[in-house]
Amino acid sequence: MKNSKYQHISDTELLNRFYAKHDNEWLGILLERYTMLLLGVSMKYLKNEEEAKDAVQQVFLKAINELHKYKVEYFKSWIYMIAKNHCLMKLRDKGKHPVEINERVMSAPAEPEEKNSVLEKEKKLDDLAMALLQLNREQQLCVTLFYLEKKSYQEIADQTTFELMQVKSHIQNGKRNLKIIMERI
Amino acid sequence: MSDDLKNILSNLNKDIEQEKLLDYLNKKLSAAEAHEVEKQMADDEFMNDAVEGLEHFKNKKDLSLLIEQLNSDLKKQTEKKKKKKEKRKLKDQPWFYITLITLLLLVIIGFVLIKKHLENS
Repeated sequence: MKNSKYQHISDTELLNRFYAKHDNEWLGILLERYTMLLLGVSMKYLKNEEEAKDAVQQVFLKAINELHKYKVEYFKSWIYMIAKNHCLMKLRDKGKHPVEINERVMSAPAEPEEKNSVLEKEKKLDDLAMALLQLNREQQLCVTLFYLEKKSYQEIADQTTFELMQVKSHIQNGKRNLKIIMERI
Repeated sequence: MSDDLKNILSNLNKDIEQEKLLDYLNKKLSAAEAHEVEKQMADDEFMNDAVEGLEHFKNKKDLSLLIEQLNSDLKKQTEKKKKKKEKRKLKDQPWFYITLITLLLLVIIGFVLIKKHLENS
């Protein structure tokens, strides 16, 4: 699984080496780093092991072809979108109608986060504490146990009456709701 | 910590991450380690989706083999042209031909000497 002699080279550097001479070997080393994640994403959408394996191979092919045509800044986000779009297209061919995401848009750099001063950070923490109180009981409990008490999903499930999937769902929804509340403040 | 250093460290850790993910899926991690993986998942949509999908594989032990297979196919696909270039390079090396010719001459001389020896005896 490992290409250990290239472990120290970043994704960006591997991409730059590829763009310098369009040598696909650099792409191979880069794509190998994401095989497991791509397999997982494909399995999530396609729900079939053989189809997921096939999808990963198709994604590799597509990535190699597309990278010869245009430059990509954030490879991880881009390859994720390639995989999702490929899976969504497969599902659409089966009769479902999901929405595709434009991969070229995703290849552009994301907006950089603004740097906050210490005072701004303190205010944000206060706002976060207020926002936490506005969540429903389940989400508040799960978010607190996960982020503040650093419990695992299993530990939270054992401690509460929730199933493992419910714990995960409460944390994800809680996090999303916190973000919405924080944007309103 | 500079962005370059972060980048280096994140890539040094990539293979450890994959091993850790496999251990997480096989429930071999401690609660604290599992929490760390889950925290990463909560902040990384790609990883979150991937773990959700990987959990549906019937035999998690076969995952490593499957990944090896995919990587092996990928390598064949991306290294093809380079191997051909290497073969061509080898043929262009003059020492290769000199050695080959020398060996052939030695074989011929050896054959002639042995034949003469046999005729004399």
